[in-house]
Amino acid sequence: MVLYYILMLVSLVVLGGSAVYALYWAASHGQFKKMEQNATTIFDSDEPVGEPTDAFPGIDLKKEIEHRAKAKEKSKKV
Amino acid sequence: MSKNLYGTPTDSTDAQERALVDASCRIPVLLFIASSVFWLLVGTVFGLIASIKLHNPHFLIELPRWFALYLDKFSPDGTVDFINAMLTFGRVRPAHLNIVAYGWASASALGVAIWLMARLCRAPLRFPALVTAAMVLWNIAIAIGTIAILGGKSTSIEWLEFPSYVSIMLFVSYALISIWGVNMFVHRKPGHVYVSQWYIMAALFWFPWLYGTANLLLIFAPIQGSSQAIVNWWYGHNALGLWFTPIGLAAAYYFIPKVIGRPVHSYYLSAFGFWALALFYSWNGGHHLIGGPLPAWLITSSIVASLMMFVPVLVTAINHHMTMKGNFHMLHYSPTLRFVVFGAMSYTLASLQGSSMAFRSWNSLTHFTHYTIGHSHLGLYAFFTMIMFGSIYYIVPRLTRREWPSITLIKIHFWGSAYGIILMVLVLSVGGVVQGWMMNNPQIPQNTFENILKITNPYLFARSLSGALLMVAHIAFALNLTLILLGWGKKTGGPTLFNQLEASEEAKPKESTL
Repeated sequence: MVLYYILMLVSLVVLGGSAVYALYWAASHGQFKKMEQNATTIFDSDEPVGEPTDAFPGIDLKKEIEHRAKAKEKSKKV
Repeated sequence: MSKNLYGTPTDSTDAQERALVDASCRIPVLLFIASSVFWLLVGTVFGLIASIKLHNPHFLIELPRWFALYLDKFSPDGTVDFINAMLTFGRVRPAHLNIVAYGWASASALGVAIWLMARLCRAPLRFPALVTAAMVLWNIAIAIGTIAILGGKSTSIEWLEFPSYVSIMLFVSYALISIWGVNMFVHRKPGHVYVSQWYIMAALFWFPWLYGTANLLLIFAPIQGSSQAIVNWWYGHNALGLWFTPIGLAAAYYFIPKVIGRPVHSYYLSAFGFWALALFYSWNGGHHLIGGPLPAWLITSSIVASLMMFVPVLVTAINHHMTMKGNFHMLHYSPTLRFVVFGAMSYTLASLQGSSMAFRSWNSLTHFTHYTIGHSHLGLYAFFTMIMFGSIYYIVPRLTRREWPSITLIKIHFWGSAYGIILMVLVLSVGGVVQGWMMNNPQIPQNTFENILKITNPYLFARSLSGALLMVAHIAFALNLTLILLGWGKKTGGPTLFNQLEASEEAKPKESTL
């Protein structure tokens, strides 16, 4: 039983400590800065924001892009 | 300067980089996915048998006489008895649970997590042999564990029915992947750590701790008395909350923005949701033991934490909804998006339902009824499994460089899964409430045990129908996956792949050096 108490204490310290450290690391390494800009890190120059990247085989997504461009222009005019 | 499929001028090094990353994780990820789909089929068969046995107890009670006589002639003594014992509900049901939890859900989660991790670290997979070895060990463990459960060697502890020697194998395999995950993270390309990476890293860290602790306290050196129950449900609930949920959300946070081509609505909220989940989820398991012989403070704190889960759940729901807003028509185009959005919506539903089930009044009505089974399927299937399906539809074409061979099979898969799981959750929820109400009111003469069984029977029959729908969907999925792995899909740089053809071609010579 004593062993369990020691294990519980160790795991509490290690797990709690690691969570606190992860939060500290993230804050001190600028992970919480420029957040909206960081949301775009999953996009590339050939898979940019505004272009879908998945469709059923054979579906032409170019039309979707054109549709979006037209909608954008319309909203600008309004 | 080259152009992508839409004619946008691009820097081809990005496509090359992605092609290299994909090539590096091709074998382990495809092996994880293929094996997980195999276990999905096996698990569905066991689930269906268990389900039918509940409303038709004579189903497969023993092998048909002609088959038993035939088998007796050509197999060692006792084979027929072994198979008959194997087909009893007490063995088929835990076999179903453990196969789908570890063979399907965990293995597909590992495959998807490995691919996502490599993509987000923007670095080729390090030590692919280590990951492949872990995958082989994982599958051997599942096979041995399944045979052991069917052979009557279950530990009888829910979610941990595999015998201790199998637990060790699973733990070692998982630990290898966790170590690999940390290594990938350390060697990532400098830059921002995307929210999906946080979720994956946390899940890879949390699950070995959960699994190791639960096995230690329940199997290897069991603690005494009712403490076992709290450890059991601490593990059972956290397996969903701290292992499957983070991987499911990691995939949703990557695939929804990536497929529609729009960043997450609020990145602040996504980070906030992660830390709120980390803080509140691990306290939730105790609400399964409301009314049990445990300290009141333990149960109450668990109820409070369950209600606090509203915070990360609503944050995630708002974020996903606002990201999708204006793009719902994309559900017509993209198989990945269909499954992932269905899963993300189910996450909100399952979590809010779970929180509501922590209320003492509602819990006393619904717990120990079919309602809880409906809830667990809403969580593990409608949320998690659907997101895994969506992720696999995105990942596999990029690893095989082929289109999915059949649109029809994808559609059968989606509608079969969607209608199947909606039907299952509906009938089990309604049937569960009726069952709970009858059991809680024994003073009414009609509420006898026999009547409760009779009244819940049609709901259980409908559940088997939903299981049959899921079976059809899974066969369609497995068939499509087998075809694409055998090279039947069209080799193209079309929209599913979305890789620029020229860039992929340029990347090819480099692949051979990996």
